Amino acid sequence: MTDNGHNPYNPIPMHVVRAYFESNDHSLKTFELVFDDHKDCIEFFKNYNPGQFCQLSIFGKGEAPFGVASAAWEGEFVRFTVQKMGSFTQYIHTLKAGDSIGMRGPLGNGFPLAEWKGKNLVIIGGGCAFSTLYALTKHVHHPQNRPDFDQLIVIYGARTSGLCMYKHDIQSWYQREDMQIHQAIDVPEEDWLHHVGYVPDVVREVSPSPENAVAIVCGPPIMTKFTLPVLVELGFAPETIFTSLEKRMKCGIGKCGRCNIGPKYICKDGPVFSLAELNALPADI
Amino acid sequence: MIYILEKKELDQTLTSWSENFDVFAPQKVEKYSQFVPFKSFSELTFENPHNTRFPPKALFLPQTEVLQKYRPNLNQLQEVVQTPKPRVIFGVRPCDAQAVTLLDTVFNTQENVDPYWKVKRDASIVIGMGCTNPCQTCFCTTVGYGPFNHDGLDALITEIDEKYFIEVLTEKGKSLFTHLPPATKDQELQVHSLQLEVKENMPIAFETKNLKQKLDKIFDNDYWQTISESCLGCGVCTFLCPTCFCFDIVDEVQRNERIRNWDTCMFRIYSQEASGHNPRPTRRERTRQRLMHKYSYWLDHIGKIGCTGCGRCVRYCPVGLDIRAMIRTASNVKSEVIND
Repeated sequence: MTDNGHNPYNPIPMHVVRAYFESNDHSLKTFELVFDDHKDCIEFFKNYNPGQFCQLSIFGKGEAPFGVASAAWEGEFVRFTVQKMGSFTQYIHTLKAGDSIGMRGPLGNGFPLAEWKGKNLVIIGGGCAFSTLYALTKHVHHPQNRPDFDQLIVIYGARTSGLCMYKHDIQSWYQREDMQIHQAIDVPEEDWLHHVGYVPDVVREVSPSPENAVAIVCGPPIMTKFTLPVLVELGFAPETIFTSLEKRMKCGIGKCGRCNIGPKYICKDGPVFSLAELNALPADI
Repeated sequence: MIYILEKKELDQTLTSWSENFDVFAPQKVEKYSQFVPFKSFSELTFENPHNTRFPPKALFLPQTEVLQKYRPNLNQLQEVVQTPKPRVIFGVRPCDAQAVTLLDTVFNTQENVDPYWKVKRDASIVIGMGCTNPCQTCFCTTVGYGPFNHDGLDALITEIDEKYFIEVLTEKGKSLFTHLPPATKDQELQVHSLQLEVKENMPIAFETKNLKQKLDKIFDNDYWQTISESCLGCGVCTFLCPTCFCFDIVDEVQRNERIRNWDTCMFRIYSQEASGHNPRPTRRERTRQRLMHKYSYWLDHIGKIGCTGCGRCVRYCPVGLDIRAMIRTASNVKSEVIND
């Protein structure tokens, strides 16, 4: 062991307290995890910042990175929304309350909240990548954090209404006076009262002002690709546009080598980058 | 301080170290030489001009290594990071020792110490073997290192006639040699002038000035397609590279172990994501990644080239791809013909 006895490869023992489907096709499931040892809990929340991710770990099944979908003030649990993709996520989907699971983290840089103090936040998300943006919005909502930021605009798109995550909570955001929420789905549905269309078009329609604002974009690559130019068109400078990236990862701590874009490791130097930072990197995505 | 060890006394020296240390030295294993525990003097190959096929990085980052043992179903861990017995690694070429210091900047960083790496590093005394006969594939001086460099070594041997002249470089190294007679001033001069002569006689394989800037400029160039066409994607260049460190983490279900294995950017699956998207889908991107990592990204990280010029990738490439030629031609590519 090292001098301080810390082995960054050892998962923190956790267990599931709540597990529920997030989408009607059961492809997205949310898990709320609590710490088996309270010391780990204190340590985690000392370091956690919205925008960070963790490696979920099950011995014999594997490990994979997931963005944290909860804010620290929500309670002594950590929330993840997991999309069923491969063998590991399929296994995670079978977990129920009481089951144990390992977690390594928090990992990565998270959102530069100190830098954003006093600014308007324009949060733009698509699909299940909205999870860390949900954590960010929840963080801002706390009465102690809310005065740190000016206006709050959230634009969130999903393919269908059935794939919209965190439905009940987001429904309550329409009643809040301190924020705007714009939800969108790709194709019209009966009873859908909000926007219909792709996220870049909705952003153009909402047309948030770049004045004293930062825009945070997380979504599938195709959405990000077409949303960034819209923001630039609206007058956002590359230094004020942020996005969170993902790549195949193993260690999550900048050692195993695979998640680099040019000289930057997404796990260690990211996952949050400004467009200005990305523009300086080679197109290795 | 330089000490003198008569060649005929080496066998006895290694044997006596074996009482207190695990001694590793290059020895013949089947057809080629490799760092293995010292068994027999007659099998030693450390004087061969050709370096060992496997670099000694495997003594710090084994090709396969258990990270955790777990009890199934309980998700409980058994700690497996164990401090090894103190060890002497004898006969390491300066390029390989240099490579280990480069890897220290990955595995032994302030923000995150890799405990598996650190316990092995801390337990090791590294005795270097200076290169009086560099091979044709060696190019350490080209990339800013040298055949008698001290980095990463506790002592360095220079071989002259029937004697080993041992330059002691650290306290750890000193502890092994204080019983030996010191060299005279004249002998010290002889050692240093030999070192300088060998170093200066090594040809320069390519120009490194502004190389990073040149490579950065041709990132999108078709050049990478051209040079990757004969590559088989076998990954031998990375597995035998002393500075390559990428690894994969997998669970060995039958043994209840989580292990890490050397991995390589030359494989398609290395960067393949769960969605099916692959940022490096062809050998064009993968060859580019390998060269850019060594000759550009390392410079961003620590200001040094991440290749120590050992020449293994040149010697063992099954289709004869020569990294020196690739870099030479890359620096002559006109960046105007970028097709983006």
